[in-house]
Amino acid sequence: MSEIYDIGYRHYDGPRLGRGYATRALAVHSLRGVFGLGRTARSKIVPFSLAAIMLLPAIVSIALMALAKQRGIPYSGFAVIMQAVVATFLASQAPTVVAPDLRHRVLPLYLSRPVAVVEYVTAKVAAMTVALFLLVAVPLTLMYAGELLVDLEGPPLTQEYLGAVLMALVLAVLLSAFGLAISSFTPRRGLGVASVIAVYLLSSASVPVVYGTLYSSGNESAAAWAWLANPFWLVDSVQSWLFGTPPHSIESAAYPSGPASLAILVLLIAVGLIALALRYRKAASR
Amino acid sequence: MNPPNPRGTHTSRSKAMNAVVAGITYRALLGRRRIILLLLLPLALIGLALLLRLFGEGDQRSAVLLMQNFAIGTMLPLLGLIAGTGVIAPEIDDGTIIHLMSKPISRPVIARTKFLVAASLLALFAAVPTYVSAWLLVRNEDGIAPGFALGALVAGIAYAAVFLLLGVITRHAVTIGIVYALVWESLVGNLVPGARKFSIQQWAQSIADQISGSPFLRTDVSLGFAVPAIIIVTLGAVLWTGHRLRAFSLTGDE
Repeated sequence: MSEIYDIGYRHYDGPRLGRGYATRALAVHSLRGVFGLGRTARSKIVPFSLAAIMLLPAIVSIALMALAKQRGIPYSGFAVIMQAVVATFLASQAPTVVAPDLRHRVLPLYLSRPVAVVEYVTAKVAAMTVALFLLVAVPLTLMYAGELLVDLEGPPLTQEYLGAVLMALVLAVLLSAFGLAISSFTPRRGLGVASVIAVYLLSSASVPVVYGTLYSSGNESAAAWAWLANPFWLVDSVQSWLFGTPPHSIESAAYPSGPASLAILVLLIAVGLIALALRYRKAASR
Repeated sequence: MNPPNPRGTHTSRSKAMNAVVAGITYRALLGRRRIILLLLLPLALIGLALLLRLFGEGDQRSAVLLMQNFAIGTMLPLLGLIAGTGVIAPEIDDGTIIHLMSKPISRPVIARTKFLVAASLLALFAAVPTYVSAWLLVRNEDGIAPGFALGALVAGIAYAAVFLLLGVITRHAVTIGIVYALVWESLVGNLVPGARKFSIQQWAQSIADQISGSPFLRTDVSLGFAVPAIIIVTLGAVLWTGHRLRAFSLTGDE
């Protein structure tokens, strides 16, 4: 004696929100993950303390403007001066965006939904870009607001501020494309952190040595190209070409030509994104 | 009659280290992609030394600068971080440490074994390239090459112990280690003279200064402080790691 029970399975009749919605949801989820929102208190410590360190120079700068009536850190040089903190943030948080999905092999689950590899990578890069942009742009905006309130002599440096914010966005795209590409090659978080910081330190510690050697041996024009090996100085060189700001390299050394810097910048962003896409195409097929 | 245990783990309680654990750890660190990371920095150091040799004059000043800024200041802490946390943190991260903990091997022996593996890797990947790159620039003039090599060796041992302890204490060992190496040792150490006394890099330079007679190398920390400090830090960190492992609890991932 058997009987078929209707246990109430139903079709989903609601609206299908589609690809764009899923990508946006993934991006927002990843962005929250970068700052540890929705996770344990322990995973909030590192991102928020680094963000607080980024705010300190802005506060000191405002205090200088208010009390001593002089400017502190220039807007255009903020990212270069704070590069160690930004790089630490990138290194410590980029693996949290990509490593868990790789380690727990949940990529096929994502890809069984309308989200394809391109959307997945776009969402992750967008999340990291927004996080890095906020990290740099919020202190800049705070400083600008301080300048408007303090009312220094002369007009406010609106153009320099807007240029710095735009370059912060470019820097964020470059850093997140590279940071995510490097850290996506290992499913282990600690190894990802170490890889990203190793690549950054290689670029930042070798640049002064290479520059100094070439400069002292008389190859001054060749020496200037050494600055472009570090992402922060690369973006600064583009900024100094586009907006006419003074170079913020060590001892204000001049950069090589601006258009070439821009071409290298665009090329590097493309390389990072392509590496990321190829990596995920391979990971998705496993 | 009981057959003798082929791995001899029941006698390991009295030994300084366990060969099987050491072998597994070596394989985990040198296999796959991690060895690229361990090779990247020493190769960059030797590459920079070659570049200086080709384009610069290869004088003592540039050799000491390269050693202080790149070999001791950048490569050594980073390799210490990768090797020191790498011997234990990944196992804690993915939970496979439980297989090691459930074996009848005393936890201090595990800690000592992991420490010896990390220290030997640092000797190979940090101290040897330091000697080679300094030798490329100035040969054995004024003892710069042997001085910095010994400094890198001793400081590498201390870094291995400290970062091993950090890897056992926290899951954010690599990030905290980077902040220590970048912010404390580089930034604070350069600005605040008092902080230099508590920096492993400065202890390494004191040792290098003792052997080398180069006039371009000046250090602030006396050898009488640096040597006891290194010994205390290394021994303390290894003992604490062993103690920490004895009462280790595996917590879930965040």
